[in-house]
Amino acid sequence: MKITEQRQGAVLVLKPEGPLTGPDVPVLKQRLIDTLAASLGRFVVDMSAVPFVDSGGLEALLDVTEEMNKGGQILRLCAANKTIREVLDLTDLSAQFDHFEDSNTAVRSFL
Amino acid sequence: MGAEVQIEASNSKATAARQRLLLRGESVVASAGIALAALLLVAMAASAWWIHVSQRGTIETTRAAQAQTGGDQLARATEVLLSRDELSAVRTLVANAGRAWNFSECQIVLPDGQVLASMDAARITAKRLPETWPAGQQPEASRGNEHGIVRVACPMDITGKGHATLQITAPVNYGSWSDWQMQAGIGGIGAIALFALLLIYRRMRGRLRALGAIREALLLAGGGSASPQALALSTELGPEARAWNDVVADIEKLRRQNVADRVKETLGQRHEVRNELESVCDALAQGLLLIDDRNHIRYANGAAAVLLRAKREDLLGGDVSKFIEVDSVLEAVREVAGGAARKRFTLDVERQEDGANGVLRFAVRPVRRDDKASAMLTIEDITQQRVAEEARHSFVAQATHELRTPLTNIRLYVETAIEEGENNPATRARCLNVINGEARRLERIVGEMLSVAEIEAGSFKLNQDDVRIEAVFAELQADFQQQAEEKKIALKFNLPPKLPQVRGDRDKIVLALHNLVGNALKYTPDGGKVSVGLDAGDGQLAVHVKDTGFGISRDDQEKVFERFYRANDPRVAKITGTGLGLTLAREVARLHGGDITIDSELNRGSTFTFVMPVMAKAA
Repeated sequence: MKITEQRQGAVLVLKPEGPLTGPDVPVLKQRLIDTLAASLGRFVVDMSAVPFVDSGGLEALLDVTEEMNKGGQILRLCAANKTIREVLDLTDLSAQFDHFEDSNTAVRSFL
Repeated sequence: MGAEVQIEASNSKATAARQRLLLRGESVVASAGIALAALLLVAMAASAWWIHVSQRGTIETTRAAQAQTGGDQLARATEVLLSRDELSAVRTLVANAGRAWNFSECQIVLPDGQVLASMDAARITAKRLPETWPAGQQPEASRGNEHGIVRVACPMDITGKGHATLQITAPVNYGSWSDWQMQAGIGGIGAIALFALLLIYRRMRGRLRALGAIREALLLAGGGSASPQALALSTELGPEARAWNDVVADIEKLRRQNVADRVKETLGQRHEVRNELESVCDALAQGLLLIDDRNHIRYANGAAAVLLRAKREDLLGGDVSKFIEVDSVLEAVREVAGGAARKRFTLDVERQEDGANGVLRFAVRPVRRDDKASAMLTIEDITQQRVAEEARHSFVAQATHELRTPLTNIRLYVETAIEEGENNPATRARCLNVINGEARRLERIVGEMLSVAEIEAGSFKLNQDDVRIEAVFAELQADFQQQAEEKKIALKFNLPPKLPQVRGDRDKIVLALHNLVGNALKYTPDGGKVSVGLDAGDGQLAVHVKDTGFGISRDDQEKVFERFYRANDPRVAKITGTGLGLTLAREVARLHGGDITIDSELNRGSTFTFVMPVMAKAA
């Protein structure tokens, strides 16, 4: 899975590309955990290039946000498509994440 | 006071005595045994007396009957002898009979009171049978006894003579020997009964002691001083005592369980409250540390562990200097936690993190806790705020410059027009032309700033309409041709003969493309080239703006789209700009459902591509 990084101010925007399923899940999870430790939580996951997420992918995102909850933070997702937003709503997991329309809005939320 | 103490002392003595008694278990049993023995003795004494009395009565009655029977027989025999005048035989018979029956007196008395015959010869007053029998009424038979003597009177009717009375006085022999024997017997029976009672008492004692002890314990429990130790009975008292002890132990266990449950409940509630507090503290994005007067960390929330890059369990109880290496912060913590300072400190500390600078804000506050000084340290990551703040400062500086440049030009050309334009129409026209251009530049800058404010507020919206692209390019060409000529830059528009019509916000599309072409001219040195191309196909429109300018380093390529960002290139720094143009241009492209991409190489030039759908229905 290709994950591009873009720094906006002091915030890192991680943009995974492709579906978040199968063997890609642990790769992204490890990357997010590493980024969490390095950036003190100042990062955003840009979901605009992720067409869909399976249960393992959801679980990984949940694990990361739970890890961030320990430090009083929450995982910020942005630009998730309708499919992913519906999955999050149907599984009652929307409240576990902060979701933003685009990365700029997400980055601004750190102010 | 003294009296109360005495009463308490006497109460405790009484309780102690009662407990001793209780442990012996004799209180009830002993009194019951004594009462039974006394009752037995009284009953036996009463029985003995009753037997004695009734036996005397029986002896007296028997003696009286014996005297009566003997008297009757003697009277009948003497009646026959007297009718035959055999006085001496009568006297002999009376004397013999009296002695034989052990009478004390036996005599025949005539109606006139003379004694005709008697056991005691001295008492005989009639020497011979009277010739004339004294008259008198038929005497009545009588019988009586008094003071151990039985008196019997038997009437006699002597044929041919008259009446007489046989009087008998007989002592009653109660038989002292047999009386003693009977009493000894009763005594023996009493002794045997007492012995039996003792045996039964000894047998029953064990059980009765236990019952008595249980009764005492119940009284004690009713009295209110029911400590389990006081209620427990000696196990020597038998199975009843053991069962009682089990019951008391069970009750005590239940009571303790009840107390334990209540304590657990209370502690649970406190625990819940504590958990709630911890949850609240853990939900804070700011790190929170409580530091005692020995500089040890007493509490740390989750965010503190993240911000200090340490494990929470390592933080707790650890020395604060192990985790914070900034001397100024440590000094402030020491002063406040040691109670030397009551003021508050706020320190912003920059630190290097993965090549980028991070800024943490440490705030130290004094806290009074258990009469000991301690310090609360809050840690906040303000890196992003600091970056934004710097960008704003930079923007204000740039915007001031950007606004001042056209204003200065306008003022200068207005002055020139006033001074020279009156007589020189060519100069006036040139001045007005410049003033017009600068005014439009000002308008654009103000428009950009307003658009950025709208983006910030989330109210940056499109006014959709049909947009004729060729008109847009004609406007661009008109705007930049002169500027290009001034810099001797070859500005070319390579447009296809037929341009599509798109759906979108004309003003904003112009704004975006204006920025791209303007930037290309701005950052291309004199004598360079700028070409604007257009591809229309696959349902989208792509506008390429290619220049032979400074180019953008790979690191800066994404950053240039951030608000207020300006590339770290000394050549760029010399050129004024707000750092808003590309941000706006990308926002416009994205609102139309497209994007702006960069292909650039440092010192070789850049190509910015603006892409949007031809019949965009976006936003």
